[in-house]
Amino acid sequence: MNNQNSQCEIRCPVHGFIAVSDWEKKIIDHPVFQRLRRIRQLAWTDEVYPGAMHTRFEHSLGVMHTATRLYDAIRANSIDVLKNELDYNDAGLDKDRQRVRFAALLHDVGHSPFSHASEDLFPEQNGKKFKHEQYSAEIIQTQLKDVIENYHSNKNLDIKAEDIAALLEGSAGAKRSLFWRELLDGQMDADRMDYLLRDSHHLGVQYGRFDLNRIINTIRAIPGKDGSAPRLGFAESGLHAVEGLVLARYFMFTQVYFHKTRVAYDLHLKEALAAILPKGKFPPPTGEQLEEFLKWDDWKVLGALANGEGGEHGKRLCARNHYRLVYKSPEVLGPQGGVFVNKLRKELGGLLAEEFEAAKSWYKAELADISIVNDLNPEDVRPLSSYSNIVKKMVPNNQIMFYAKRENVDEAKLKIKEVEGNERNSQGTLDFDSNSGRKT
Amino acid sequence: MSEIRKERLTLIPILAEKHKEKFIGRTALMKYMYFLQTLRDVPLGYNFSLYTYGPFDPDVLSDLDLSVAMKISRSTLEQYPGGYGYKIGAGENANGIKKEKKKFISKYQKDIDWLFEKFGTYSSAELELVSTIVYVDREFSAKKTKDKNDALLESVREIKPHFDKEKIRKFIENLNGNGLLKSKK
Repeated sequence: MNNQNSQCEIRCPVHGFIAVSDWEKKIIDHPVFQRLRRIRQLAWTDEVYPGAMHTRFEHSLGVMHTATRLYDAIRANSIDVLKNELDYNDAGLDKDRQRVRFAALLHDVGHSPFSHASEDLFPEQNGKKFKHEQYSAEIIQTQLKDVIENYHSNKNLDIKAEDIAALLEGSAGAKRSLFWRELLDGQMDADRMDYLLRDSHHLGVQYGRFDLNRIINTIRAIPGKDGSAPRLGFAESGLHAVEGLVLARYFMFTQVYFHKTRVAYDLHLKEALAAILPKGKFPPPTGEQLEEFLKWDDWKVLGALANGEGGEHGKRLCARNHYRLVYKSPEVLGPQGGVFVNKLRKELGGLLAEEFEAAKSWYKAELADISIVNDLNPEDVRPLSSYSNIVKKMVPNNQIMFYAKRENVDEAKLKIKEVEGNERNSQGTLDFDSNSGRKT
Repeated sequence: MSEIRKERLTLIPILAEKHKEKFIGRTALMKYMYFLQTLRDVPLGYNFSLYTYGPFDPDVLSDLDLSVAMKISRSTLEQYPGGYGYKIGAGENANGIKKEKKKFISKYQKDIDWLFEKFGTYSSAELELVSTIVYVDREFSAKKTKDKNDALLESVREIKPHFDKEKIRKFIENLNGNGLLKSKK
């Protein structure tokens, strides 16, 4: 299927060529989208994996490409469901295809410097911290409104910036297009499909690879049962490709995103940025403040660090003098384990420089509840975990990691050994839960 | 683990045990959490956003998975005449965390009782529809939009075209009769 006035193709290291229409090119050329060239996908991960220098710019193009492939496959595979349950006709599907492309292209346009690593410094509204998706939605409805709405092809489609923002944020204004939101923010969304493959490619690891073509080939819209809404799922013939994606994500988190040194750099960056930013927070996504926010990118932060700003943590980033991991809990920390970790935290006192809690990270640990349709009997729809024992046995990660300054590492490790010894003497074991805590 | 997360984990077996069947499904868990937070101001810290199947926050499922891993809840997959679904019940460690969070439970017990009185008999599809109505109503209210000329009904129908208007109207009237819609006031 052709895109609106398709004019050029952009070379992509993951997907080959990505077709872009003249309309989309105007959005890509806009300064707020070009800013994504200056926001690295994985912050300071290159300190561990030197190849991790890729940016939100190429990822955003990849998500648009992947979301479109998924959209076209669902349209081809499940036209009856789309027509019968969501009242679509061809014109409606053409319009929503373009909406999904825009939403996918722009989903990360509100990211702060160094991506997720700095999100803790977003300000709060009514007691809740802003999320990067809210920045993206506001940017779409203000900075990008003109370039989205005032293009000649839009006379036929009448796409509004508000529609795209509503689709991204999950609000009623998106109407039936909300069905496609799972392609943008769901368990099998185009975002994670692209970042797993792209991060693996740039880092030089194999953990995040899976069979994207098979996923696309087997995706379906599944009719709602007993009045429930239709949702996305997969044909049984794609079962192992889906399983592969779930495992790829698990491996990438344990091997890359939660890597002990990578996590340490996130902690330093957050503290350094808090020292650099006025009042220690990013401007909110409102009015003129949004324009101030958009001035923040990696270059600006690196410039500040090079000028000696960022306090102690800025110096540590520049000198590669990061905190060292001295303890990590089991990946599933049960009640008994939690008591031990609290005891350890108290005993370490000032030796504990920082701690990281996996459950508080941007990683959403919800386990795969992906619908699989029986190839021989389409009425038979079951969750992936009923087919896959591997997926069934997966558990969410609520690991805690303790870090110490390099000069305190030996003392901290001695203290941990002492606390573990006392615990072993009083409890008879340190094996609290499914696997035991390990110190490094 | 933060205190608020412990409280959320505690709620899971409590909601399951409160149901007359002594278990609930995943849709019910999601929507009950949404109702407690939105209609009764129970401070759960979830960030719900809208999908075709109603308000959803993946953190609810993360909490469920963690509670199962910690044996606070248990979850089994069951076959029903209409397909497959999860049965979520209390786990062997439920009493321990309930004891720890006794104050939280007693503070919000009346809200849990209210939840089951109002929505305890609803099917999954009905919970999807009613929670969508409440979500759209709160958006109307945030934008100071009053529900005139069936605007709320039309907006819900645009999200869920597979429901007929009269069914949506019936649920809107029921919610409004209970004083639960803000855009009608």
